[in-house]
Amino acid sequence: MAFVLVPKDVQRMHIVLNQLLLRADAQGCMVCDFSGHVLTEVGFDCHDPMLISALGAGVFAASRELARLLGENEFSSVIHQGEKRSLFICAVNNDILLVTVFSNSASVGLVKLYARPAVAELRALFAGIQERGDSRPSNEQSFVLNDPKEWFGSPVDASAP
Amino acid sequence: MSFINYATREIQLKIVYYGCGLCGKTTNLQVIHQTIRDEAKGSLTSLATSQDRTLFFDFMPLTAEAVRGFKTRFQMYTVPGQVMYNMTRRLVLRGADGVVFVVDSQWDKMQQNLESFANLEENLRLQGDSLDKIPYILQYNKRDLPAVAPAKYLEFVFNNRGGVRRPSVSAVAPRGEGVFESLNLVARLVLNRFVKQHGGKENADQQFQLA
Repeated sequence: MAFVLVPKDVQRMHIVLNQLLLRADAQGCMVCDFSGHVLTEVGFDCHDPMLISALGAGVFAASRELARLLGENEFSSVIHQGEKRSLFICAVNNDILLVTVFSNSASVGLVKLYARPAVAELRALFAGIQERGDSRPSNEQSFVLNDPKEWFGSPVDASAP
Repeated sequence: MSFINYATREIQLKIVYYGCGLCGKTTNLQVIHQTIRDEAKGSLTSLATSQDRTLFFDFMPLTAEAVRGFKTRFQMYTVPGQVMYNMTRRLVLRGADGVVFVVDSQWDKMQQNLESFANLEENLRLQGDSLDKIPYILQYNKRDLPAVAPAKYLEFVFNNRGGVRRPSVSAVAPRGEGVFESLNLVARLVLNRFVKQHGGKENADQQFQLA
């Protein structure tokens, strides 16, 4: 099983994320999966989205286990509050997360408020993606592997200055 | 679970280094990070204790030109090896497309290796996967130390599931020996399965034959 996104899915996600960015005055929004893959993002210009995704998925998974330990079904969202920036992570469904970074001039309440309709739209979108399955779009050719020698290039000499 | 984005022409796959405490999982990623060219790697992030033991995971993204017309991103993770961090191992293992099981070759680590291997099987089973389905390789690490088990013995103990042999590599990770061989082997297995699952064709010379 794989998540297969076509350009139309990504366009729809960008609309939802840009709307959230604007309404909540956020700095960056990202959709990632629980394995830590970035599905799409907007606004993460000066941060590494892949690292935020890997750590965000880890944090959320850990918080779920904490919830279970405390007898809760789950903590539906996680907030990390910093001096200048904060992070809001919430589940879209059992596989997908929405991660929002916002400055402290924005309000946590607004982020939570506008994240709710964004999550609903993303949930509907992913229900369609999952229903469609992982088959290849009809206009795409099958995958062909390159020569394995070219995959990672030649390693550099670590001892070289 | 792999991820294909036809909009950005990108494929993402997850590879997890698994094994008992102090077997050399983090060292593998450190060596790859030191030696691979800058354009192909992201930063190596370690969530470790003050004693440099992995607490949650190590993470490093790698980019490869593996599939024609697509950028292939490998998300490389290690799990914490210590027995008490099993819940964390389960979280990191979630959605893995391939595993490198690192064996500490020293005689006095055999029990821990066996427990870790059984733990990998159990954690895969809990996420609906199994060693029969997931691509994995075995890396026999620390071959330079004095009291190590012979490779044949390790093959008999770890590479004999149901009569099927998996690829295995002898390694001395701090010196880089066997590190890239392991990476290339697991990447080949993962990509061959990916291509097969999505109706693509492997060329005969690109196909990796199990030992």
